[in-house]
Amino acid sequence: MTGRTTSPALHGLRVLDLTQVAAGPYTTLLLALMGAEVIKLESCSRMDINRGRANPSPGDPRLYPNGEPGETPWNRTAHHVHRNINKFAVTLDLATARGKELFLDLARISDVLVENYRASVMDRLGLGYEVMSQVNPQLVYVKISSQGATGPEKDYGSLGSTLEQTAGLASVTGYEDQLPMMSNETFPDPVVGILAVGAVMAGLRQRNQKRRGCFVDLSQREATVNLMGEAYLDYSVNGVVAKPAGNRHPEMSPQGVYPSRGEDEWLAISVSSDAEWQGVCRALGQPELAQDPRFNSAEARGRNRDDLDAIITAWTSQRDHYRAMHLLQAQGIAAGAVLKGSELIEDPHLTARGFWDVVDHPEAGSYRQTTTPWKLSKSPRLRAVAASGLGEHNSYILGDLLGLTPGQLADLETEGVIGTRPTE
Amino acid sequence: MENSRRVLNDIRVLDLSQGVPGPFCAKLLAGMGAEVIKVEPPGTGDFSRSAGPFLGAGDDAQPQNSALFLYLNTSKKGITLDLEQPAGQAVFRRLVQECDVLIESYPPGFLDRLNLGYSALEELNAGLVHTSVTPFGQWGPYSDYEGSDLVAQAVGGLMCTIGLPDREPVKIGGETALYTTGMSAFSATMIALYVRDASGMGQHVDVSAMETIAVAQIHSSIHYQFGRTPARRESNLVQAQDGWVSPGLETGAPDGTWPRVCELMGVPELVDDPRFSTSEARRENQGELREVVGRWAITRPKEEIYHTLQGLRTISGYVATVEELVNSGQLKFREFFQELECPPQLVATYPGHPFRIDDQPVPHSPAPGLGEHNREIYCGRLGMDQAQLDEMTLQGVV
Repeated sequence: MTGRTTSPALHGLRVLDLTQVAAGPYTTLLLALMGAEVIKLESCSRMDINRGRANPSPGDPRLYPNGEPGETPWNRTAHHVHRNINKFAVTLDLATARGKELFLDLARISDVLVENYRASVMDRLGLGYEVMSQVNPQLVYVKISSQGATGPEKDYGSLGSTLEQTAGLASVTGYEDQLPMMSNETFPDPVVGILAVGAVMAGLRQRNQKRRGCFVDLSQREATVNLMGEAYLDYSVNGVVAKPAGNRHPEMSPQGVYPSRGEDEWLAISVSSDAEWQGVCRALGQPELAQDPRFNSAEARGRNRDDLDAIITAWTSQRDHYRAMHLLQAQGIAAGAVLKGSELIEDPHLTARGFWDVVDHPEAGSYRQTTTPWKLSKSPRLRAVAASGLGEHNSYILGDLLGLTPGQLADLETEGVIGTRPTE
Repeated sequence: MENSRRVLNDIRVLDLSQGVPGPFCAKLLAGMGAEVIKVEPPGTGDFSRSAGPFLGAGDDAQPQNSALFLYLNTSKKGITLDLEQPAGQAVFRRLVQECDVLIESYPPGFLDRLNLGYSALEELNAGLVHTSVTPFGQWGPYSDYEGSDLVAQAVGGLMCTIGLPDREPVKIGGETALYTTGMSAFSATMIALYVRDASGMGQHVDVSAMETIAVAQIHSSIHYQFGRTPARRESNLVQAQDGWVSPGLETGAPDGTWPRVCELMGVPELVDDPRFSTSEARRENQGELREVVGRWAITRPKEEIYHTLQGLRTISGYVATVEELVNSGQLKFREFFQELECPPQLVATYPGHPFRIDDQPVPHSPAPGLGEHNREIYCGRLGMDQAQLDEMTLQGVV
């Protein structure tokens, strides 16, 4: 690596984080890894629902290390631990007058506020943009919501799994001529987390230009619709309504996922030209196939798809999927092992690039953490630091930053405005 | 609105990229007001110009008719330039000196071999934000490997859990992994501009599709490490009269909703049925719940079910098609879709910008034809005369 190394990109930027679950927490996680000071605000009666509960019921779907909720289950769920690294954790009951007051004090010294409630929640609390922009005219208020801040559906709730339906992704995902499939990854959540970082930066840039804050309105549904733009042009001009096409592609022939050696192991292959097809034939050790009239054009390969798949499968099923990927890539063919979580955390390329950080979480143990989808040559990201316990930084943020005395903090705790254990 | 100034109005972008991720990144920058000059190889142009689907019947060989190209390159100016000729390189160096951001998607090392890599360009323009968008990143064991949307979903750990247990994994449709990579590049570029605004310092931004998707798999790696191996599973969708819904009664229904749903479905006897009376019970008895709800859902249109159940505060969804989204009341209310005249005599519907600042409109203009702005940029901007432009054209440089 060349170039000077300076301080983290977002050093000195303070972000007040009212987000929960996934899309919002991913946004602030990425901001935190780039150096922002992120203050995650919860209350003891309404924690981020990813934290779980004080006493999880047997049917609790949340995931604890090896299924053990332990003494402090709310600090140990997989999703909380994974999505809230590098953030300060503060509790404040916003339903109390004192809690609200302290919240406004924090907003006065923050650059950015990010929230992902249903559209009307902050207004109902008396903390909507109108109020917040008076409290801090320089505040960049970023509202990430299911449907946007306006419109007849603005108060509808959603999860990543319902957004992939209502934003159209599910209508094009699945095997040909079969029912739609879900990603099982709540895909619109991380997508929006990644995009919202740019939206925050745009809001900050506008603030610097106009010398006052602004309101950023990001609808998860609209952001997700953007992922298949060409299908809207195709529909509006040609009347074509896109459908599930399995792993096939209009330009690639063949493109598919083929079985590899081992239990439930697979290899993805995309071939975009006749020259690449010849490369596949070389990798398969059957150069004569390149001349076979059944396969010598994209059109012919499409027509004789079943024969083609049988030939490729005969080769891939004898080989480890990584081995087959390297053999095909050596011939210039886009091929990739279908990696599971267990393989992804060991992948040599991601490991060589420093993508994974080992995090030692005091209550959940050691694990490998995903980091950023980008590398800036002169503004390196921070190392991942374990997600904080509930209210862990009350005394730092409310004491050191807002100037409350230990006595005042103790009173707040007695009154139930702050705390470090769930009260639900 | 007091003025129509947009947040990147002072930023000039050279978009050298092709395909999906780089152009989508540059399109998002253009949407924020940046002047984006798309630089394409003479003759063929961006390879997405020849990718289907094509708009309009009969003349699908027309390179301006690719829906993918038209969507990904709105609000840009288009010029042609052959970077492999020395004359083209000299022109390119001049353009770099006058721009703030460069987006490119060449294989790692390609620009270095032309002496146009970041280390050379940094000498010309210290404030340059040079964003490289590739399948696997600028360095590392796979950096020379080829990619595709499917390959990104495979190696990023996303698709291993999509599909049925007894069949092959299946990808999310369209080019979604590549679009998402474009969003990564956009956010990373905006971070680099933030640094530059404060310090004047440019830098090289390395964005990869594999890492983008590895960030977007938010269950597989962490679930495995916490002791649960994620697997492909049957869809939990319920069939409605005209498609599919997820009623959401086992995930996000508050207390008090179930009795009202029973009333709605005409099964008041189930209000106190212990199999369904709490969220946890409904989750445990999902199969039976689906049968009960399914008998009602099959008689109703999916959008009616969605609105009705959302009205009762369940987190319900319906599988919307492209056609239904264009007609969605919510998206219409927000004037999300925009119509643009693209190739002659065609009007197409485009999704709008994915976020808004202070409710400012984000107007788009159609994607450029190949070399459409050569004269404006080369003569108007770089001060060449017509004879010089003709000469470059003759030599195949533009």
